Amino acid sequence: MNTDELVAHGRSRFEHAVARRTLKEKYQAKLTFAYASGMWLAGPELLSTLSACTSPDSVILDLYDTPVKVQTREFRDQVRSHWQEQMNAWLVEYEELNKNR
Amino acid sequence: MTTGALIFARNNEEIDYVAMAQWSAKNIERHLGIPTHIITDDAVNNNTRHFTDVGNVTWHNHNRMDAYRLSPWDRTLVLDADYVVASDQLKVLLEIDQDFLAHRWAYDVTGCNNFEGLNYFGDHRMPMWWATVMMFRKSKHAELIFDSMQMIRDNWTHYRNLYKSTTATYRNDHALSIALGIVNGHTLDHNSVPWALASLTPEHRLTQLDQDSYRVDFINTENRARWIELRQDFHAMGKQHLGEIVASNS
Repeated sequence: MNTDELVAHGRSRFEHAVARRTLKEKYQAKLTFAYASGMWLAGPELLSTLSACTSPDSVILDLYDTPVKVQTREFRDQVRSHWQEQMNAWLVEYEELNKNR
Repeated sequence: MTTGALIFARNNEEIDYVAMAQWSAKNIERHLGIPTHIITDDAVNNNTRHFTDVGNVTWHNHNRMDAYRLSPWDRTLVLDADYVVASDQLKVLLEIDQDFLAHRWAYDVTGCNNFEGLNYFGDHRMPMWWATVMMFRKSKHAELIFDSMQMIRDNWTHYRNLYKSTTATYRNDHALSIALGIVNGHTLDHNSVPWALASLTPEHRLTQLDQDSYRVDFINTENRARWIELRQDFHAMGKQHLGEIVASNS
């Protein structure tokens, strides 16, 4: 086994993992948004919660565990749109990262 | 509800914090659409006139804890002069029903430094809240936080001993963290900005690519030169490079 190659490979993997983590931090921020005075993280968990709500108005907990009344359909559309908008941007940067690897 | 930003800026021999704050005020106006007041102990500078609704408040012995009293707005963002606003990310803080928010976590955008030590303070490893970005709403809760910071600053030796802070120098971050503990009944259950503070340490070179994108050159763990492009808000902990960017923009 070529240990120099092993070390170089390990370091390269480390650098890539760091870059991926930094990218994740960035998009965790961008996925956050405000609605009805509450703070939310757009993503599958919130969408699943909203899918379980069948009434026009629903009360759900925001990121600060505050119950907030939302208009279910409008909010769900907003979450989905914000989530995918940011995920697309994340994908572009992720592919750029892999290209530069 | 009125909203605005406050930046505390006090020049020293090395760094023109006032110029930095003036540059930041333009970014705040452009991205967040809110006015900025720069609080400095320098004489009012005519260079500020081109900002929309920007005022200077001459103030001696100013401190971050004066923000509550000095702010003319219902809701205020308090930013360090070296916090670079390159997006509308902070807008979300102005639209929610919270009295006070600050960052609990910070991270190095290059990944070269582990901020574990910086996210805690003292021998007891008390969690640290960063005073770099604070949002407050005029309220009893926010007033008590700022009053407590004042009390801690005025009795710093006592609090430094109590919390076994390893540095003698007073830090707003430490005072804020202690104040949040006192005001929230020592529960450590404080609402925070729900994302980490992107930070750039001084050893990395920062240059501007265009209006809202920046290049960071650094040496990675393989001792190789690397660079990344930043298109987001960040805290430039090294003031020299940011100072050069500000100077080249003026």
